[in-house]
Amino acid sequence: MSTRRGGGPPGLARLLVRLVADPESRQAQLGDLHEEWAERAEADARAAARWYRRQALRSVLPNLRHRAGRWTGRGPHGDGTMSTLVRNFRLATRSARRNAGFTVLVVGTLALGIGANTTVFSAVYGLILNPFPFPEPDRIVGLGTAYPRLGGELSFWENLSPAEYLDVRDATRTLEEVVAWDMGNRQIAGEGPPQNVFTGFWWGDALRTLGMRAHLGRGFTDDEVARGDPVALLSYRTWRDRFGADSTLVGKALLINGNPHTLVGILPDGVVLHGMDLWTILPVKPDEYPRNRRQFQILARIRDGMTLEEVNTDLEGIARRTEQAYAAEFEEYEGWSIRALRWNEVASRTFRVGGFVILGAVSFVLLLVCANTANLLLARARRRRREMAVRTALGAGRHALIAQLLTESLVLAGLGGAVGVGLAFLGTAGLRGLMATLALPIAGAIEINGPVLAFTAAVAAGAGLLFGLVPAFQASRAGVAGVLQAEGKGVTPGASRQRIQRVLVGLEVALAFVLLAGGGLLVNSFLRLTRVDPGFAHERLLSMRLTLPWEEYQGDAVPAFFRELTERLGAVPGVRSAAAGTQFPPISFQQSQLWFEGGAPSEDATLPRALTTVVTRGYFETLGIPVLAGRTFDATDGDGTPFVAVINETAARRWYPDGGAIGRRLKLGAPDSEEPWFEIVGVVGSTQNRGLERAAEPEIFGLHDQLGGGQNQLFLLVRAEAEPRSLLPAIRSAVAEMDPDQPIYAIQTVEEAFASSVATRRATTLFLTVFGVFALILAAVGVYAVVSYTVGERTQEIGLRVALGADAGRLRRLVVVQALVPVLVGAAVGTALAVPLGAGLQSILFQISGRDPLTLGSVAALLVGVAAVASFVPAWRASRVDPVEALRSE
Amino acid sequence: MGKGEFLGEFEQVVLLAVARLGGDGYGVSVRREIERRTRRDVAVGAVYTTLARLEEKGFVASQEGEASPRRGGRAKKLFRILPAGERALESARGMLDRMWDGVVLGGTRHA
Repeated sequence: MSTRRGGGPPGLARLLVRLVADPESRQAQLGDLHEEWAERAEADARAAARWYRRQALRSVLPNLRHRAGRWTGRGPHGDGTMSTLVRNFRLATRSARRNAGFTVLVVGTLALGIGANTTVFSAVYGLILNPFPFPEPDRIVGLGTAYPRLGGELSFWENLSPAEYLDVRDATRTLEEVVAWDMGNRQIAGEGPPQNVFTGFWWGDALRTLGMRAHLGRGFTDDEVARGDPVALLSYRTWRDRFGADSTLVGKALLINGNPHTLVGILPDGVVLHGMDLWTILPVKPDEYPRNRRQFQILARIRDGMTLEEVNTDLEGIARRTEQAYAAEFEEYEGWSIRALRWNEVASRTFRVGGFVILGAVSFVLLLVCANTANLLLARARRRRREMAVRTALGAGRHALIAQLLTESLVLAGLGGAVGVGLAFLGTAGLRGLMATLALPIAGAIEINGPVLAFTAAVAAGAGLLFGLVPAFQASRAGVAGVLQAEGKGVTPGASRQRIQRVLVGLEVALAFVLLAGGGLLVNSFLRLTRVDPGFAHERLLSMRLTLPWEEYQGDAVPAFFRELTERLGAVPGVRSAAAGTQFPPISFQQSQLWFEGGAPSEDATLPRALTTVVTRGYFETLGIPVLAGRTFDATDGDGTPFVAVINETAARRWYPDGGAIGRRLKLGAPDSEEPWFEIVGVVGSTQNRGLERAAEPEIFGLHDQLGGGQNQLFLLVRAEAEPRSLLPAIRSAVAEMDPDQPIYAIQTVEEAFASSVATRRATTLFLTVFGVFALILAAVGVYAVVSYTVGERTQEIGLRVALGADAGRLRRLVVVQALVPVLVGAAVGTALAVPLGAGLQSILFQISGRDPLTLGSVAALLVGVAAVASFVPAWRASRVDPVEALRSE
Repeated sequence: MGKGEFLGEFEQVVLLAVARLGGDGYGVSVRREIERRTRRDVAVGAVYTTLARLEEKGFVASQEGEASPRRGGRAKKLFRILPAGERALESARGMLDRMWDGVVLGGTRHA
């Protein structure tokens, strides 16, 4: 589990020994275990760790028994007085054993509730709260920027220019170790074929920013950064998986795109920022870039004693100074802002909300389980009131009874927690499998570790107190006389208990309502999302990336390579057509500011901006994007002919609302940029280019043949006749025929790309739906249990009514209606809770309001319907009571 | 002999291991000795709680030993058997011998 830590015995097991060992011999026990472990570890480290764990586990019981004996004043011989605690514990376990069916039911639902909470918490802890092994995570921040003039929201990726980096680095009073980086793909050589790795190109030593030391070797030195030396750091996982964790590699040469770099170190395990497996130094100086080339990210460390608020005040000042100095030249600086956010939050930004929604939902599930358990305990208390009365009569005080009942609850919660942890091991394994299939650039690991177990222990103990308190107080309140009298007489006993049970049922219904409403809203959103038309035929379309190293391919060679490759791919049997582009829907990200011949077409407050995509001929045909006006790129366009562009419908409508886009000219960059003019030759249909959830954005397409040289990293898009992955061997050999050293990577079908763009939403929806159904079942069980017991206690009354000629149908209705009163109250409370919570969900809803009346109404109808069915069974039984039997039992 | 001096089976095993080891008995050596002679893999925690009980009964005495990096810097707790412990072992053995005397199990006579 804990592969992160290197030397030393397994941490969890050691912690366990430390916790349970008798203080008198704790040091000696730890020392002995350490000594024998160290000896065994020399032969086989894993076997030694296993041995240590087994020893630790087996030492728990003897140690605890010994300490309990000492604590309770029990002598070393096993006789003497038993403390209250031990006695209560024994009574509790005996009681649990005696009511095996009841225990299994309670422990089972508790285990489900606690197991689900543990699983979800382990994911939230590992992926959102603490995804990196940074020693002081709260001090590591990323810088986001927002440009109101570009209509942008706060962005943390490819959002800063080198000049802006210098502005921040040189002026900040609150940040230190400010570093910036660019990202791209590089090939590394090694055993086997070359491999593409996602690479960071740094200005500065980010390890110092993170406050960490390299696993092996060192980070970059200031001199290396200043000179732009060819040095590199590898991620721990790449070093382990590709290079077999060979520690002799450090200090030697590593071939990156064929160029030797000195591998100066290995990054610490778990440090994989945004999926980057290779770090190098960017040899170009920051001041050699134009001020508006925004393709960098900034990472920084908050100075000791400074707060995030102080950092943001500082950054605000820097932004304003830059605005004053440069807004005349760069309009986008008007009102722009820079904000620092903790890196943990930056890295988990896209799935943070979903994660906390699921955590909130699962804690509601546990509350519901507690209410349900309290209900079951109350129902059982009816059968135990004689026991309680006898204990009271024999002199047990009220506090003693409460203590005993609470101990019973805690034993149940402890058992539920233990089984729940077992379930959570399965749950986390399942989640890890799910994460592996999604291949998201997410740091961190889902595992059951110390903090997760501490959470589980706290949750189980809290649950035990929560569901134990009500029945304990209730049971202790019934006096001896009352119980013993009620036992004999035919009066309706336990009126207050029934009242509490009704309140609990109402609570269960309210909680179930909230969960079902949340699930319903998300399911509704998801259904709407799946109905969104992507704007092109996304089936049987395979995408993969190919990066030509610039050391080998320059200028015209790049478009020539891709032109020939797509032609060859198009001829592969089973391929309908093939093309290439710098991006494709739904994962289009490259944007640019632009300008129009004859001035801006409209008086928007925001500067015009569009996705800019460079494609080969045949891109539109291969993707199945319809041509709405004019033409797409054809053989007459090429190197040397005038620059042409195709725009999408969204762009045409926005920029040329009166039509007539064809023949107009536009260029990239600011109005006075040196970029060439492009003539618009065609308008194509809009696709969901930023994913299904966002409206289509304006998009400009340029031809690779005309713009090729710098665009050496393209996605190949292959339309298959049948299952597209079966073509991979043929595609690989077609690529290899042209250049055997160029691997294809990032292989996925376009359908998968769409699916992974909604993966968080899918997971949130799935979890809330499962929780909602579970909640519905628990609420139904609660209703059923309460009505059954109520009916059971009123058997004589009902028998009397039947004997006096009451109509069976009316009797049934009476019971059902009485049962539905708490359900309706619960549903009303649930609605009151669901409306504000639904508003909180709004950011992850799609085309539906958090107060959607149809969803809330359906949930209410479903709950009341299920409750009615659950109460009908006992009601029907009540109406069949034989009056003679009922009255005889008096 | 009072009830307090009665030795359980595991207590006898641990006490015998301490006796065999002279003054060198501590967690690791006691555990190893038991493992070697009885083929029983015992938990360190069980050894210590038994030793603590034996110490309370006055059968063994303990003292701090040296610490070493091999032990993660933690001191040893060394045990040696006391005269009362030797007497208890002898009486336990004598009791068993008297019980065995003349017993026939499955046709084998034990002397």
